[in-house]
Amino acid sequence: MRFLIQLLSMVAVALVVGFGLSYYALTDGRLLGALKVGPWAAWPAVGSASPDPYTRAYLARTGALQLGQGEGLAFTAADDSDGHPLDRSCRYRIEGTTPVATFWTLQAVAADGSNIARPDGQLELRSSDIARANDGSLVLTVSKTLAPANWLEITGTGSFRLLLTFYDPSNLSGSGVAVQSLPAIHREACGA
Amino acid sequence: MRYAVFLAAGVLLGAIIHIAVILALPALAAHTVWLRIAAIAPENKVVVLPTPAPGVANPLQLDPDLEYAVCRVNLAAGPGVISGTLPDAYWSLAIFDPSGTVIYSTTNRDGIGQNLSLGIFNPDQTHLLAEQRLDIADGLLIVESKDDDVFVVVRLAPAHEAVRARSEQALAKIACGNIKS
Repeated sequence: MRFLIQLLSMVAVALVVGFGLSYYALTDGRLLGALKVGPWAAWPAVGSASPDPYTRAYLARTGALQLGQGEGLAFTAADDSDGHPLDRSCRYRIEGTTPVATFWTLQAVAADGSNIARPDGQLELRSSDIARANDGSLVLTVSKTLAPANWLEITGTGSFRLLLTFYDPSNLSGSGVAVQSLPAIHREACGA
Repeated sequence: MRYAVFLAAGVLLGAIIHIAVILALPALAAHTVWLRIAAIAPENKVVVLPTPAPGVANPLQLDPDLEYAVCRVNLAAGPGVISGTLPDAYWSLAIFDPSGTVIYSTTNRDGIGQNLSLGIFNPDQTHLLAEQRLDIADGLLIVESKDDDVFVVVRLAPAHEAVRARSEQALAKIACGNIKS
């Protein structure tokens, strides 16, 4: 009987470690193969002709139309800069500078990838359409409540993710990934 | 002590399961990008993908700011060719193999300008090309693919919302198919 319990414990540990580690590794790039910059994560080899095994598994799991290495790189954030999950009832201030790219877009999406912006409003923010400070830095607001300047209005309830996609960047693609910093995501008021 | 040995064995077995899952996932996945594209794009036909609407699932993770055209080509019927003239805006192109891996990508910032003229050859066809036994148009950008099944994605970023319809029309006019020998 004792042997059976030990054997079952071993199998349980093996299943939890095996499948749990796989899920963890392929979610937001928490283990190998991913690039983390603050709350943002990307898979730099996702558009390469010879991706590593983790990136291959990620490609198969997502089934998405990825950007090639020559086209750009997409970052995703499920948490703010303090590690709290992004919640639609909160207002978020996204502040900082972005790497050089021909242009970038910022979208807010639900777990199934659907865009959660107000249907008759802007579906996303684009770098060419936003106001910046004199030093090139930017402040964006993602919220359900009215905000000045660069505002992405979202709808619904529950958690969400932010997608920041750089097109034709000068230093993100290829093997020499060199991202110094990406904008921070600060949570402001909640309860909207 | 004996219980700890079992737990350690469980962790070790878990690591093996983890490696097996990571390696097997590409072969076992049921919703790969290839299957999704194959379901909406017949061979040798350019399909302009609809802009993802708010609140609607977006499994291909399309960017609503961009317009997308896809075309699936089977190189067993001859080298693939994709050509057209695109608006004076940012556009890029990527070639995918059945595993969803991008085997080649470029943008119009790489000196291509507005003219898209790309040939996709398998290794045998590249060999014939090197022996000058295949006639191709001048200026064709040549890409080699190990797989016969590929699909091409052209992404176009309209400069303004007002020209989005015109951008869609330009993408729809792209020619895609096989070079007949």
